[in-house]
Amino acid sequence: MTYGAWICLLSPLAGALAITLAGERISRRAAGWISTLTTFAAFGGALVAFGALWARDHGDRQELSTAYTWLSVGDFEVGMEILVDPLASVMMLVVSGVGGLIVWYSMGYMAGDDEERRFFAYMSLFVFSMLLLVQAGNFLLLLAGWGLVGLASYLLIGFWHHRAEAVAAAKKAFVMNAIGDATFMLAAVLLVWETGTLEYLGVFEEVGGLSDTTVTLVALGLLGGAVAKSAQVPLHTWLPDAMEGPTPVSALIHAATMVTAGVYLLVRAHPIFEAAVEVQQLAAILGAVTLLVAGVIALVQWDIKRVIAYSTMSQIGYMFLGAGIGAYGFAIFHLLTHAFFKALLFLAAGVVIHHLADEQDIRRMGGLKDELPRTHVAFLIGTLALVGIPPFAGFWSKDAILAATVESGGALGWTLFLAGLAGTVLTGAYAFRLYFAVFHGPRGEAAAAHAGHGEGPRSMLVPVGALAGLSVVGGLVSIPGVWHPFTSWVDETGEPLVEPVASLEYLVSAIAVALGLVGVWLARRAFLADRQLVTSPEAWRVLEHKLYFDELYDALFYRPAEAISAGLLHNVEEPVVERSLDEIGSGTIQAGGGVARLQSGLLRSYAVAVAVAVVVLVVVFVAVR
Amino acid sequence: MSGPGVGWYLIVAALLFGTGALGVMLRRSPLIVLLSLEIMLNAANLTLIAFARQHGSLDGQVFALVVMGVAAAEVAIGLGLIVAMARRRLPLDVDQASALRG
Repeated sequence: MTYGAWICLLSPLAGALAITLAGERISRRAAGWISTLTTFAAFGGALVAFGALWARDHGDRQELSTAYTWLSVGDFEVGMEILVDPLASVMMLVVSGVGGLIVWYSMGYMAGDDEERRFFAYMSLFVFSMLLLVQAGNFLLLLAGWGLVGLASYLLIGFWHHRAEAVAAAKKAFVMNAIGDATFMLAAVLLVWETGTLEYLGVFEEVGGLSDTTVTLVALGLLGGAVAKSAQVPLHTWLPDAMEGPTPVSALIHAATMVTAGVYLLVRAHPIFEAAVEVQQLAAILGAVTLLVAGVIALVQWDIKRVIAYSTMSQIGYMFLGAGIGAYGFAIFHLLTHAFFKALLFLAAGVVIHHLADEQDIRRMGGLKDELPRTHVAFLIGTLALVGIPPFAGFWSKDAILAATVESGGALGWTLFLAGLAGTVLTGAYAFRLYFAVFHGPRGEAAAAHAGHGEGPRSMLVPVGALAGLSVVGGLVSIPGVWHPFTSWVDETGEPLVEPVASLEYLVSAIAVALGLVGVWLARRAFLADRQLVTSPEAWRVLEHKLYFDELYDALFYRPAEAISAGLLHNVEEPVVERSLDEIGSGTIQAGGGVARLQSGLLRSYAVAVAVAVVVLVVVFVAVR
Repeated sequence: MSGPGVGWYLIVAALLFGTGALGVMLRRSPLIVLLSLEIMLNAANLTLIAFARQHGSLDGQVFALVVMGVAAAEVAIGLGLIVAMARRRLPLDVDQASALRG
């Protein structure tokens, strides 16, 4: 069983190394194929591991495979080990499967770029890092994968390094993620300190014996990492800017896989979060806040990719909500369907951008329905799945999370439920605003200028088609009251705290779908009246500034840091450090000049000096005796 | 143990050392300076051997051998320098070789 998992982990790494080492000896196309095929090989390995796990008995589906001892310090040991269990197997399938489709798609999308080989090497590196993250058998390897996906994300956001915005966005993403990495690291250190191990199973056994403060701190540290990686409020500002990267990167890293790593962490470390209930609730609250914040900001964005990016944040907010109230299976279920339909939306948007020669402003689009008929259908499927219209994938997973919030009950549960419902309206509104603006209405300027690029090569259309199919049927693996193989599979890793009954799920679904349709109707009405969804100019300005988060951080952190630096420069560096160094230098020169006079150059006088010194020393020693 | 006591040896060594030191300090010919240095080294050797005999151990003698080795090396370099000076027709006078004055 574990050899499949090892193949899954190592084949993308082999691909990245092969492309890097081969350099210009292989063609760009060959680099693309190496990357694509190694990712699909990883998918094959994941399937083998999944099948073997499936064949096992319930309750026995967990295997730790250690390749060797990685670190050994006293009693503390960390192995190069992977844990294959239901949760990891699902994540492996999602990462390598969706990843393979997206890498394949990039072959068409990136064709003709100057540095395709570098691109594919980075993509393979990312897939490897993400697989390391989800397969790691202990927190240290998880942290290693966590850092590596951050690195790959940084490299790929800044892939077009000649564009200043791309470089700035890459730096922003890296810095915001570094905050999360640091809190995660502190949590890991605390765990080593208190439990003496970093292995999941060992840590989870010890959690019960830890003090409340320790558990809360550890959970907060892990939550910090999850919030930064998954672009949740308040560490969310990097994700929209990350859209500067190539579209397949946005699809793979900033929609389907990396940004959902935070949800994975919440579910993976659920015993820790369950021991620190306040922190788990905080995760749910942050998820609810994010899904609303991102939803309203998405209403006013003009960039096709940024709208989808905000919707990603919003959907991950739902996953945090689910994981925060303990509906682990539903959170991972939404992660799965979201990976399908959000990757689909990004890839379809990529076809549009490709068709319009890199135009991303939806004001210059419009009326593409007839020019790109197949893309139009795919985009519509993705949008319907996003809004949660039955029977598309998002319907099953999002409504399950909403039902779980009701089931969890209490003031908090109901508040979260209302926030989730409000989010549904917003989702319907911004998703269909985007859909109408791009595909309906009169032909936009860009559409008129670039007519005839077509829908792109087959390598782009096949993955889009496959993801469209998955977005239609992907949600059918869990139907309330009928069957739920998916959620019960994940539940083996994390026993859920809330399990809504089927009738409740259907009731909530009906409300949510109705509200989603209200959102769609709002978007439709605004579109037909040729006006925006947000009509008040004040509200528009606030939303256009993304609720002033960037400005706030600028005022809170950047400007004070700059002022302190300037103050230190003018008051400490220049007057104290610089002048004192100058004085040390000139003083040394003067002293040297004085000492130099002693050097007469006469050998015999040196000899006399030595002799006199010896005599003096002897006399002194004798006298002291 | 027979023969003169260790004190006599030390007196001879001190005389030798003083001679050598005076030579180094007073003479200007580099050859003589080198020669005087050798005398000083051998004065030290003499004390080493004298004490070695007194204590009946070979350590001092071994050390004297080392000193001789060092002295040989030092003479080789010193003579080489003097030959080099002579070849360049520099005055063979240590007082005039004072380019390193500060």
